[in-house]
Amino acid sequence: MQIKITRRKLAAIAVGTAAAQAAQEPAQPENLNELAREQLRKNAETLAKVDLPMSTEPAFQFKA
Amino acid sequence: MADFNDDIFFATIPELNAKLKNKEVSAVELVRAFAQRLERLGPRYNALALPLTNIAIRRAKDVDKEMKRERYRGALQGIPFGAKDLLSFPGQPTTWGARPYAAQVIHQTATVLQRLDKTGAVLIGKLAMVELAGGGGYRFPAASMFGPGLNPWDRTCWSGGSSSGSGSAVAAGLVPFALGSETSGSILTPAAFCGVTGLRPTYGLVSRYGAMALAWTMDKIGPMCRSAEDCALVLETIAGGDAQDPGSARKGFYYTPQFYRKMKDLRVGYAPVDFAEWAQPSARPAFEQALSVIRESGARLVEIRLPDFPYSVLVSTIISSEGSAIFEPLIASGKVDELADAKQIAGLKAALEITAKDYLKAMRIRAIVQKQIRKLFADVDVLVTPSRFGPAPKISEPLDRRPDENTQPKDRGLSALIPAGNLAGLPALSLPCGFADNLPVAIQVVGPAFSENTLIALGKEFQARTDWHRKRPPVST
Repeated sequence: MQIKITRRKLAAIAVGTAAAQAAQEPAQPENLNELAREQLRKNAETLAKVDLPMSTEPAFQFKA
Repeated sequence: MADFNDDIFFATIPELNAKLKNKEVSAVELVRAFAQRLERLGPRYNALALPLTNIAIRRAKDVDKEMKRERYRGALQGIPFGAKDLLSFPGQPTTWGARPYAAQVIHQTATVLQRLDKTGAVLIGKLAMVELAGGGGYRFPAASMFGPGLNPWDRTCWSGGSSSGSGSAVAAGLVPFALGSETSGSILTPAAFCGVTGLRPTYGLVSRYGAMALAWTMDKIGPMCRSAEDCALVLETIAGGDAQDPGSARKGFYYTPQFYRKMKDLRVGYAPVDFAEWAQPSARPAFEQALSVIRESGARLVEIRLPDFPYSVLVSTIISSEGSAIFEPLIASGKVDELADAKQIAGLKAALEITAKDYLKAMRIRAIVQKQIRKLFADVDVLVTPSRFGPAPKISEPLDRRPDENTQPKDRGLSALIPAGNLAGLPALSLPCGFADNLPVAIQVVGPAFSENTLIALGKEFQARTDWHRKRPPVST
């Protein structure tokens, strides 16, 4: 039995495989640094969204 | 020579204490047997950082002499134990689980080790941990110079972190109890994954002097044991004010079971969504059963949920800010690159860039979180939820895999109780409550600050009605 496959389909499979491999590989250190910074930026955005009265002080000496 | 079988390696502290008092076994025999077992089997779980067998046997000889003169110092006299390798012990390496500190010797004795020594408990080894207790955030269980903590129930699975060695050593019967530490989840997680009972004390109740700091305002040291009562006995010894710890609450803990309230007078807050939706399907029957046990004990179950705050972001910002300040010399020297986990390296480096504004904002929100959680305890005495929503993951699995937000429950319930409880400095007790996929799972009980006796009362009642804490993993010698 012959399998018919076009060059376009072949290219799509090759690209798809490469993308899947890239997704499985561990992130490179430079990339991890970027991801860590990105996470900090997102955290800062989340914190900024919380409204606080001006009188709310941080606990400089934390007590339970 | 006493006859050592598995029963002795899985005995509780009162059971071992009775054997010592009845002279069925001497402290030297007990310490030698556990120390040899720890040396032989500890590496199988990547649990052993440093054996202290010779020092321990010398100390046990002193204990035997005292007991011969009928000088009894309490339930821990002659009981061997292990300590997470972030507690300093003079003349021996204290590695903090991290390669850059592999040769570090700190010439001081951690206050908790001093206190245990005074009561005659004998340190037989330092136990492995996630490097720097996971500050900076890590991606894989292998984030340790000792390798990934392996779970005694299934060595292809993680023992949890960051007190990995403490969890697996207690579970495998290598030590009767161990000390761990928690900044956010580091006692509760390995206790849950390994099927042991773990207690996170109120912030400030136990001195951190001589312990590695990860986040000054969040670090706690606590016991990991075979039962809730064992946790109480260890806590009674290690708790108490210490002028050398600026965070010390200058309070002690007295185990007072004679004054425990009746279970029917206890109001237990829980969120049905935690058990029905947040929990992994394989673990739901065990969690539901645990809830039934609490209900049958007479306690009144009250539905409750945590107030809405970005708990994980707050914890991450505070730990990263304080941790990067603490480890700034490590980061600046470039030695941070010797750590095992690339994500942790990146996280520590990036954390130096957190602004004072963001740290202070997180600490200000934390003050509101504390106030709101305190209000919750007007309606309930304790909160109950799964310690972790499923059993231990495989050691090969990345730990930062984010769940699909579309499939997550819409109601928060008490699902963020680990970060919330740590932000508020509250005590927690993790109790084994069954199995899922042949691995242990557990529930956590959280109370207001300094309510450890209430948590232990509930824990004792739960363990009187169940035998999950008595289960032993298949440890072949």
